[in-house]
Amino acid sequence: MPKVDCGKLCPEWPCEQPDEFKNVWVITEASEEGVSEASLQMLTPALEIAGKLGSKVVGVLIGYNVERHAETLIRHGADEVIVVDSEDLKEYYPEVYGQVVVDLARKYKPEVILIAATMRGREMGPYIANTLRAGITADCTDFDVDEKTRDVLLIRPPFAAIMLAYIKTPFRRPQIGTARPNVFPVPPADDTRKGEIIRETVQVRKTRTRLVSRTILKREEIPIEKAEIIVSGGKGLGGPEGFKLLEELASILGGVVAGSRKAVDAGWISHERQVGQTGKSVKPILYIAVGISGAAQHMIGVREATRIVAINIDPEAPIFNQADYGVIGDYKEIVESLIEELKKLKEAGPEAVDELIKEYTIQEAAVQQG
Amino acid sequence: MRIVVGIKWVPNTQAVRFDPKTGTLIRTGVPAIVNPHDLPAAELALRLRDEYGGEVIVLTMAPPPAVQGLEHILGMGADKAVLLTDRAFAGADTLATSYVIAEGIRKIEREIGKVDLAVFGQETIDSSTAHIGAQVASWLGWPYIYYVKNAKMVNGALRVERQLENAVETFDVGLPAVVSVAMKALKARPVRLSHKLRVKLEKPIIVWSNKDLGLDPRCVGLKGSPTIVSKVTYLPEVPRRKIVYKPKDPRDAARWILAQLFQDEKTREALHKALWG
Repeated sequence: MPKVDCGKLCPEWPCEQPDEFKNVWVITEASEEGVSEASLQMLTPALEIAGKLGSKVVGVLIGYNVERHAETLIRHGADEVIVVDSEDLKEYYPEVYGQVVVDLARKYKPEVILIAATMRGREMGPYIANTLRAGITADCTDFDVDEKTRDVLLIRPPFAAIMLAYIKTPFRRPQIGTARPNVFPVPPADDTRKGEIIRETVQVRKTRTRLVSRTILKREEIPIEKAEIIVSGGKGLGGPEGFKLLEELASILGGVVAGSRKAVDAGWISHERQVGQTGKSVKPILYIAVGISGAAQHMIGVREATRIVAINIDPEAPIFNQADYGVIGDYKEIVESLIEELKKLKEAGPEAVDELIKEYTIQEAAVQQG
Repeated sequence: MRIVVGIKWVPNTQAVRFDPKTGTLIRTGVPAIVNPHDLPAAELALRLRDEYGGEVIVLTMAPPPAVQGLEHILGMGADKAVLLTDRAFAGADTLATSYVIAEGIRKIEREIGKVDLAVFGQETIDSSTAHIGAQVASWLGWPYIYYVKNAKMVNGALRVERQLENAVETFDVGLPAVVSVAMKALKARPVRLSHKLRVKLEKPIIVWSNKDLGLDPRCVGLKGSPTIVSKVTYLPEVPRRKIVYKPKDPRDAARWILAQLFQDEKTREALHKALWG
């Protein structure tokens, strides 16, 4: 008996059975320069889901002059790549790109579609899902598969990751999710991998929207909620000049500065850069908290930071119990030294890292033995 | 121009507390508010009307208490309000919700007049999906743009500016269209007493049930929702490494931090990228 009873289904939806669908798709963002890092990261959950389902991973590459990047997707794990390369796709418009994916999905019927939850991915994803009359789960941080029913569990953390919701769409396919950048690693490249490249031509929809201009943001203008590295200051900085030092550190790390509520209230940094309950939630790979005591109202905003470094003069500061790496000491001296050491490393090149690591692993081994 | 603003009446998540004993969220007694990210959307709609004329209609799909939310936006100066309410709408995911909202907009077009623009907040504080704008655009077949910071009319099109992770973009969007307004993009005007008095006198709130919309019950609420929440777990505390180091001197402190970050597979790549591209 079919799983889906067409009589019970909304007549606005096409009636399809889940077993008509196969393969795990990754919709990639690509430009002439290459496939975005966030899209390559999606291959990791895609490979895992496909492994459990016993199906293939298919990369979908859409744009203009992007065909040559199909090999990149194959090297990182895609079994097949569907390429739609057209001058009509020179500029991205959400409903235009979205419609291309919709047309391909109607033809090939993928079982799962993953999209990186970049700002464009979050914009385009719900259009694709809705036009296919399928479900979508935003900002997933994990996935699982019920191998018996072939339902994918799409796991997302609403409420600043205090809770995890497990979402599934048992009666609809494809199962669609956007997933957070920098949660999954890029699968290692294997230059010997082979895969099939399928060139598709799709009628590109005309749009009433026109791109007028695009200006690339300077590093320091990147909003804190999108930054990968944040150097954040609190009351312990003692004054606005402390932020000049933090900006110098952020600059060499390619990051941005932020502040606690106390730093914002004191007028040392702008309101837009406030982290915490009354400010913004941030999700960087690295959050360096300088002179921040670690009040609960601040820490709720950094729950989704991958790693936290704390620099504080007070050994009793609660931040040390909520950070990954803490150092006790005067922030000014330590941040100045960090800037100096980073400059030296940059100059010396990646080889110098080994020496640095050796110095500290030997020291740690000595401490453990002693 | 006629502008529809969609809003959501949400629990004030800042007032939601976590019960460490049971590991659940305490939602009882939590006041409801207009989703804060919808206020910049209402402000943009009102500014466009003030500049170019026309009317602003605020719309929500919700149980009847959400009238308070509609009154808030009317108090800011919106002209009319529409409440889409029916027991059949309960349990809707974003697909079923956007369907009802899109059908509400179609009914506004049939009964009040052509809609030029539908404006939404970027996301809600209680679920943060950012789905509704794109989904409503999909149902209506209109173009759409997210993360809009400001907008004005240029040669008959809506010129919008938006910011992505690393770029500022300007688009001309042909109307009718859907836009979602970036969080904290505009400061919302306060509610005015004169507007509130008008609301009391004129009662400009239209209530439509599913009978009025005439939608198939299989397409709305729980039945019209492909997604199911199968389980919820709680993470009261984020696991952290909690390694604290007492350095000999500042140089030692700096080198220790860098040694940790370069050994840590979660941060190693980001540092390599920052230093050597």
